[in-house]
Amino acid sequence: MENEQNDNVNRDELIMQQQRDIEREISDTIPLVSEKLPVNCLNAEYIGDAVFTSKIEDLSAKYSHLRRTRPDGNCFFRAFAYAYLEHLISNKEDYDKFRQLGENSKDKLVQLGFPSFTLEDFHETFMEVVKRVDPSTSNPDILSEQLHKIFNDQGYSDYVVVYLRLLTSGKLQEEADFYQNFIEGNFTIEEFRHQEVEPMYKESDHIHIIALCSALGVGVRVEYMDRGEGGTVKAHDFPEGQTPKVFLIYRPGHYDILYPK
Amino acid sequence: MSKIVKLFKNNKKDKPPKAEIITEQKEPEPIPTTKCGKPLVLDNTRWEKRLQKELMSLIKEPPPGVSVDEDSVTRNLSQWKINITGFEGTLYEGENFQLLFKFNHKYPFDSPEVTFIGNNIPVHPHVYSNGHICLSILTEDWSPALSVQSVCLSIASMLSSCREKKRPPDNTLYVNTCNKNPKKTKWWYHDDSV
Repeated sequence: MENEQNDNVNRDELIMQQQRDIEREISDTIPLVSEKLPVNCLNAEYIGDAVFTSKIEDLSAKYSHLRRTRPDGNCFFRAFAYAYLEHLISNKEDYDKFRQLGENSKDKLVQLGFPSFTLEDFHETFMEVVKRVDPSTSNPDILSEQLHKIFNDQGYSDYVVVYLRLLTSGKLQEEADFYQNFIEGNFTIEEFRHQEVEPMYKESDHIHIIALCSALGVGVRVEYMDRGEGGTVKAHDFPEGQTPKVFLIYRPGHYDILYPK
Repeated sequence: MSKIVKLFKNNKKDKPPKAEIITEQKEPEPIPTTKCGKPLVLDNTRWEKRLQKELMSLIKEPPPGVSVDEDSVTRNLSQWKINITGFEGTLYEGENFQLLFKFNHKYPFDSPEVTFIGNNIPVHPHVYSNGHICLSILTEDWSPALSVQSVCLSIASMLSSCREKKRPPDNTLYVNTCNKNPKKTKWWYHDDSV
């Protein structure tokens, strides 16, 4: 009897695995970061759906464009990095501050106990990407084009994602007492960092966003669009009260980049 | 946050493992290419650079009880044999084991495939008699910031903390039916009986 039950569980698991493989295949055909698209392009996904149609209309009133990111579990980190670096291209002051912070971040992570040995490759590539959008080196159009190319090259894009995951993990460790409050059950920050933050493809939740935003001192506004009532999207700023520089849209399970009007 | 909580509640690690076979899939192409068919040259050189770096460090400053079989690596950079000795004061004191690490071109984004090989496979509740190891950092929880060294340390600590030498409860079934590659096994790190 027990064996029979196990067999059933195994079959379910096989089907789930196959499902995941199919999803992965679909997602691999979507670019890591898309070109800018008009916000109302979302309508095509929700034809005849009154709730979403009204929310897209609300969104269109505040935002002109969006950029899709590949739904591979890394979308928050990739969208965040792209959107913030794009902001820095035309903000020399913020750029200089961020570059300095980036330079110093490696030593900080090493102090927190991350192995400098594996860390340095990711830090090096991350800084290389930051340097390639230096506003003093070229005009914004050329730099934007460069940024787009870099982020669609997995060799760079994924290295940036890893480094942001490590920065997030570092922040969780640094302020473990605070972040522990967000985790229910008998799980330590340590376990959470190793299982939900550092591995690639693990999806981000509020806790990841708050930790990364505070680690980098960057404000993010997330517009939530789900089946909830009200007909409008709901904005949430991280950390609360900080002027957002990065704008993202969240639909259950996925983040894309938004451009305010 | 509810998703996380649920995930953690299902993830109790110290219960006996249960393994399950995933249907055989097509082997990945040996040389990764981008969607437009262009080889990812950058990744290939980085992959080698990273392995070389790890190798140098492991030879120069090996963790206690761990040594690389340098001949094996000279022959093929993508397959390393690593010797590991049971620590004093543990059930495996004085025993010698050998691990085989296989790397693909997506390393360190893909985890290495790690198995015990040779005549002496440790008798341990998380090690199958064919050398497959049930350890979450080798699949689900792998991160590119981990390394050969950190995997060796985790395996050493897994052996050291063992209180009773025994095989996993589903050893016979698993060994008879599993894929050669342990990464094709869906590992259950929680107890299924709950």
